Formats: sequence, C-alpha cells, structure tokens
Amino acid sequence: MKLTTEDKLSLLAGSAKYDVSCSSSGSENNYKTGELGCAHTSGICHSFTSDGRCVSLLKVLLTNVCIYDCAYCINRVSNDTPRTAFTPRELADLTINFYKRNYIEGLFLSSGIIKNEDHTMSLLLQTLRILRHEYRFNGYIHVKLIPGASKELIEEATLLAHRVSSNIELPSSKSLALLAPDKTKEKLLSPLKHARDITLQRSAKPISMSTQMIIGATSESDFEILKLSSSLYEKALLKRVYYSAYIAVNNHKHLPVPELSKPPLLREHRLYQADWLLRFYGFSYDEILSENQNLDIQFDPKTFWALSNLHLFPIDVNHAPQEILVRIPGIGIRGALKILQARRFKKLCFEDLVNLKISLKKARYFIIAGKDFHRSSSLYTEKIKLALIHQGSNIIQPTLFDTSIYTGEL
Amino acid sequence: MILLYDGSFEGFLSLVYEVYYEKLQVNSIVKKMPETLLFERFHEIFTDEAKAGKVLDAITKHFTKEQQHTIFHIVLCDTRDYEMALLEYLRIGFKNKKELRNINNTNLFYIQNLEKELLCLVHKMYGFTRFEELEDGTLYAKIETKFNIVPFLGEHFCKRLGNIPFIIHDVKRALAFVKNNELREIRSIASFDAPIYSSEEEKFKALWKSFFKAAAVESRYNPKLQKSWVPLLYRTYMSEFMDDI
Ligand code: SF4
Repeated sequence: MKLTTEDKLSLLAGSAKYDVSCSSSGSENNYKTGELGCAHTSGICHSFTSDGRCVSLLKVLLTNVCIYDCAYCINRVSNDTPRTAFTPRELADLTINFYKRNYIEGLFLSSGIIKNEDHTMSLLLQTLRILRHEYRFNGYIHVKLIPGASKELIEEATLLAHRVSSNIELPSSKSLALLAPDKTKEKLLSPLKHARDITLQRSAKPISMSTQMIIGATSESDFEILKLSSSLYEKALLKRVYYSAYIAVNNHKHLPVPELSKPPLLREHRLYQADWLLRFYGFSYDEILSENQNLDIQFDPKTFWALSNLHLFPIDVNHAPQEILVRIPGIGIRGALKILQARRFKKLCFEDLVNLKISLKKARYFIIAGKDFHRSSSLYTEKIKLALIHQGSNIIQPTLFDTSIYTGEL
Repeated sequence: MILLYDGSFEGFLSLVYEVYYEKLQVNSIVKKMPETLLFERFHEIFTDEAKAGKVLDAITKHFTKEQQHTIFHIVLCDTRDYEMALLEYLRIGFKNKKELRNINNTNLFYIQNLEKELLCLVHKMYGFTRFEELEDGTLYAKIETKFNIVPFLGEHFCKRLGNIPFIIHDVKRALAFVKNNELREIRSIASFDAPIYSSEEEKFKALWKSFFKAAAVESRYNPKLQKSWVPLLYRTYMSEFMDDI
C-alpha cells in the first residue's frame, strides 16, 4: 500500500513527538535580504498542542525504520509497527511550505537508523542541502547526529544546521547496557565531541547542542542526573539538557510496568527547575542536592536550598547584589532586576515590593526590606516550612507543569 | 478639567502642546464624550499639525532613542487609557530625564508594564500569525489583536519572507501592511474582496492539522495548559484550531 504524504506525516511526527527538544532560541539573527527565512534569537512558539507543549518546529523523523533495538523506543526493530520514510525532497518541500505560512520556525530532523549509520546521516544531510542551497532557506534547523556516523558527515551537519544533538537517553552506562544494547555512552557522546571540536576550530563559540534524558525508566537519582548535566554544560558539550518523563510505549522486562507507570511529571518539573538554577542562577549541582538524593517533591529546589541554608538569611534587598537576590525563594531574575532599578531611588520596604508586583508569598520569610522583616516566624526551619505549606504556595497546579521549561523562575 | 481628543497620535501631541502652553489642570483624558456629564469642565482639543510637530521635535531632542520608542509603543496600545500616564511620563521626562527610570512612581511603572505587555503580544503574534497563499503567490494573513501591532509584524515578516509579497490585514482596525517588491506600507482598508486562494492551500492546511494532532502526547493531555498558552482569543485565524471553534 502506498502511503500519502499526510499518512507519512502523521506516522513520522507521531514517532518524533517523544523528543522534547523544541526551542529554537539562542541562534543569532541571520537574515539576508531577499532570502527566505531567518532565525529569531529568543525562539518563537507557533502553537501549543493539546498536551500543552510548544510547537515551534516541524519535528519529524526522516524514517521510522530502525536497525537498533532500544527497549523504550516505539521504532525499535523488534516492534511490529507500520514503517515509512520521507524522501529528502518531500521533507524539504514540506518545510518550505509550512515555513511560508508561518506554521513553524524551522525544522527539527531526526531519524531511525536505516541500513547503517552513515547512510542515515547522508539522507538527513541531503534534506538540509536542498533546503539551504536550493531554496536558500535561512530558517532554523536542528538535526540529530546519528551515533557512530563518520566525522566528515558530522562536520557537514555543523555547517548546515543551527543546532545539532544526540540523545543520551539514559543517565548511566549501566542503564544503557540494559535498555539500549546497540548504544554506549562513548558512541552517543562522540558525535557531540566532534561537533564541539570542529566548530571551535572555526570560531570562538561551539555550535549549539542539546540532549535529552529519559526520567524514571531507570533507577538513577536526581543527584546523578544533575551531576551529569552540569558536567555536560561545563565541558561546553551542551547548551541545553532536556528531561523527559518516561512514557511507556513497550512492554519490556527491564522497564517499569506500563499499566502502573504514569509519566513522572512532577519529577520532570523539579528537574527543569533545578536545571534552571544551574544555568541561570549560579548554583552548582552539589549545592542543590547531596549524594544520591532526589529533589524534594513538596518544595521547589530553590526554596528547599534556602530552608537548608537558613544561616545565609535573611537577605537585605536594599544591599544584596544581583547574584544574591536571585537566590531568594520567590524572587526570580526579573524580580531582582526590578529591585535593582527601584532601589536606586529609595530604600525599599515590603509595600514597595508589593507595588512592584513582586510576590512576597515565599520571599517574605527570607528578606529584610528597610525596617520590614517577617516577625511572626523566627528563622526556624520547621516553622517556615509549616508556614509555607500552610499557605499552600507549594501545591503545584497541574497547569504549571512544563511551564518552567520556558519560565523556570523561582 | 477633562480633555477630549480624537485618539490619534497627532491629536495626543496637540494635547500635550495645549497642556503646556495653556497650563491646563488635567483630571482625565477621554477619546469620546461620555454619555453622562457631571459637573466637570470639558475642553476639546483639535488636532493641529503644527503644534503636534513642535511637540514631536521637543520629544526627539529631549528623550533618548529608547525612550522615544517607549512613547510610540504606548500609543500603539490603543485599547487602553494610557493618556494620563503618558502625559505624566512626558512631564517627568521634560523636567528630569533620570527620574524616568524610577519605577516606584505608579505612572512610570504602569508605562513600563504596558510596554512589556505590548511587546509580549507582539512576540506571541510573531508565532500565531497564519498566512494563506493566494492564487498569485501572495501570502495573506488576517489578525485581530488587542493592540495595534501591524507595524511590528510587517517589519518582522519582511525579514522572513524574502521576496514573497505579503499582506497582513488587521480586520478590526481596517489596516493592512502591504509588501510587494520595493513597496512597504501600511494602508487603511475600507473594503476587501474575498481573496482567491491557491489550489495548494487546502492541502497544506490539512497537512499542518495532521501534524499538529500527531505531535501531541496522549498520556500528557492537558487542555488547560494549552489554553493558558494559546487563549481562545488568539485562535480565530489559526488553522489548527479551526474545527474546535
Ligand atoms: S536508535 Fe533511536 S529510533 Fe532506533 S530504536 Fe533506538 S531510540 Fe529508537
């Protein structure tokens, strides 16, 4: 039976949807007069699906045929699912037509592994070549590097794409061996290392790269996960780590039983919050968690950190520098900037903060503002905890899930 | 005293002129005569190009580029009563420029937030605007938005769409940004014939819809969250939501 473009699109977008990477942010403006497309620095969401996730890219697989057998993956070779593939031209035409109508910001192209690694990588590059050279398309392109593809192909990918990535999927070699027998950590990281080194030779900044880790399929603690993320950020391998709550699509003896397992969305949410602390608030992973610990479910990671470090509080909002202000629970980067701006004109008290629309719900337990400080609960952990729990500020509304991906302010 | 003006930018500048030279005490500013009149004094301002021009010159001299942008941005928030706050912003700016950053002043804080709200809407509409292809290859988008953001969208899509001619039509304000080769302008559109769409248009709409459906993960279904990101208000012209309205 011959599938229509529409059938293929449903199938190949359906298999790519578990990849959570969506953002197109952080790429420089590259607009050229008379040419089609340009990437926007802050990323633009073009729509939101019924699960509330942002759509900004045409996120598809070139094919869902795969010779690998990863236990958690819907496309693994041992699954009996309908298989199909786009031709590079079909995919390029689709991208251009979606882009023109402003449905998308660009393309996110991934693939199952067809025949072998290099063959697959070449097909992906073929699509990119049509887009870049034939259509002169400057819009955003993110391409998956196929683990084990040869160096020349990876080099070409770094020339054609804005961002490249390779999913680590599982946070340890042990788990990989258990669930993704064809993959090793080295095999997954080596394309990222190549891409970093090649692009560093060309310019001062490495190409923008990201990865994804599945959360809750295996037994690693949040500490191990954040430690790994943090070392990936430090070695300039990655700009962004995505965390994806494990969603059961297969039965497998080493995986949680599908009927019992709901995606651990709250844990995913906490990891994004903690990741935000790593990237923007100047925290290190071992400040957030100690060995083998998991993130607290009741309190967001910044509040939890503050409660465990009460000797550093209260903080005087009229004198603390920005990097200290952002460590106050409930005050994010925007709040800190407002405080810095406003206190040049007067000494701030609680009321001024309220007028500036800074929420004191959490913050009031941790700050001094002029003569104001919170008298009723002395700085005693259990009391503050109780007060915070009592006011219900830590009950996470379901609608808050995922929002921290975009606005992880705490 | 209550000032009445026509709601245009020139009108507002003329108003500023009179406030300064006639030393008016202003209590409020309205664009329309209210239905019920109490015992207040009314003063109608007539738009005067010469006066407006003088005020504009003064603004360009006194305010930084960034502050000038803020002033123009606020005027684009045409569904809000921004006039008193903006008048105050100008008054403070003419007196002491440094003071303009003092967000402890409610008027200045209001202006800062209103500008943010506008820019946030602009950013959203960069993503939520949908073009349809007409028979001759022109791309045509209809929008209905809280503020007048046609100038922003026009500039944005000039960068994106290369040589493709396009029209962005603000249905409520009867305005359109038109781009064709060298031509770029904002026109008022009194009447508009229903356009003829390209033969491919339906096909790509259908493809987009099926992509949109396939991209959602069932086990994370969360329409409430979806609604908070794309409020119903924005969905009128977004093809992926057409069937649900
Ligand atoms: S290599 Fe990728 S597509 Fe293939 S089975 Fe593994 S995760 Fe799935």
